[in-house]
Amino acid sequence: MSFDSCFDIIGPIMVGPSSSHTAGAVSIGRFIYEWLGDVPEWAEITLYGSFADTFQGHGTDKAIVGGLLGMDARSHGIRESQEEAKKKKMNTMLNPMTDVGWRGHPNTAVIKAHLSGQTVIVVEGASIGGGLAEIRSLNNEPVRIAIAADAEIKQIAAGSKNREGRYS
Amino acid sequence: MMKERMKDIVDATEAGNSSIGEWMLAREVSRSGRAEEAVRLQMKERLQVMKQAVEKGKANTCESESGLSSGDAFRMNTYVQQGTPLSGTLISDAMLFAMAVSESNARMEVIVATPTAESAGILPGVLLSLAHNHQVSEDALVMGLFSASAIGYVFANHAMISGAAGGCQAEIGSAAVMAAGTIVEIKGGSPAQASDATAIAMKSLLGLVCDPLAGLVEVPCVKRNVIGTSIAFSAADMALAGIQSRIPCDEVIDTMHRIGSSMPSALKETSKGGHAVTPAGQKASAAMAARPCSF
Repeated sequence: MSFDSCFDIIGPIMVGPSSSHTAGAVSIGRFIYEWLGDVPEWAEITLYGSFADTFQGHGTDKAIVGGLLGMDARSHGIRESQEEAKKKKMNTMLNPMTDVGWRGHPNTAVIKAHLSGQTVIVVEGASIGGGLAEIRSLNNEPVRIAIAADAEIKQIAAGSKNREGRYS
Repeated sequence: MMKERMKDIVDATEAGNSSIGEWMLAREVSRSGRAEEAVRLQMKERLQVMKQAVEKGKANTCESESGLSSGDAFRMNTYVQQGTPLSGTLISDAMLFAMAVSESNARMEVIVATPTAESAGILPGVLLSLAHNHQVSEDALVMGLFSASAIGYVFANHAMISGAAGGCQAEIGSAAVMAAGTIVEIKGGSPAQASDATAIAMKSLLGLVCDPLAGLVEVPCVKRNVIGTSIAFSAADMALAGIQSRIPCDEVIDTMHRIGSSMPSALKETSKGGHAVTPAGQKASAAMAARPCSF
């Protein structure tokens, strides 16, 4: 990973406790929110590697759900994101895949979500450190879309639809 | 863009007659194409968030999700208010502020990663204690954050700043050395002295392993943030006294990289070694595993 900006070192502004297990996880969920253009009706979240092993203490699950609701890494609401999901009628299912011999990035979430029974998105996202996330597959197609914690995720999601900034 | 080493930065500041912080600000303006004022304001916002995290954390006695860390900032605050702490007000305030931020981080409050969330207490602890006890202006603190980012930038690019990659020396270590160099700049030391403080501080933290209980950023992370502040002040005092590091800063950074790379993975944020496998650590892991899933 290459650090270039002073704000890569002093930042991001984020809810704790971990830049990779919390801040990066929010961005993966938020990418899906922006891609769909709304809060999904239903989301199935599968965690792998260290995400699966330590999600509870790090609030990785809350962070991903917060992102799916449109929150960002600094949103105070992340701690109570599950309650917010109930209010917004978003149904979630969580599968922590421990002991499956995961060979991908140690902090990976695969999220399948849909909106009003039509649009379905499947995303594999990795949290690669320092709050940076990377979308590694989008609808079963390999991609590499980097997302910094304070990035304009809306534009990144729009770009991924236009195949701009997208390469495999 | 070139990834400068510490010597490159010190040489550039000497040629340009600037501080390390001013150099980093100019570099950011050049790389981003943004106005200097906008870049300064973005950094100032980070300072404000640090201040809020300290204020909220000092009085908060709520438990973290795991229950492993809570109430110690409140205890420290009471102690600092009541008596005369052995280490004096400058260091004891820094310790208190660092603890307040680190406990807030464990509680999922808003903090600024400096350079990581796990080590987010040290820099605000040191800077806000300097502001409180030595009347350092807000502008000087913001410039200090640019100094700190320059030092962290060198470690991030030429060694590592994550516990998973290099152990705790890369997290608490990087944060403490960023603070050490920054103190020197704020107190009017030269860039070469800031570089010496950085090297001196890191030499005391080399080899520190990342061994958190149950994989959580709480034990021993919170107290390491607290102690990191006093290492930063000690190293800064030595550099300001004119004491040089006998090993050049960049060679210390290379040493950290080598040690981090050869450290066994059991000691790099996997909770498979160190304190994590003590009876206390195993108890914490079992308690976390038994918690009901919130879904």
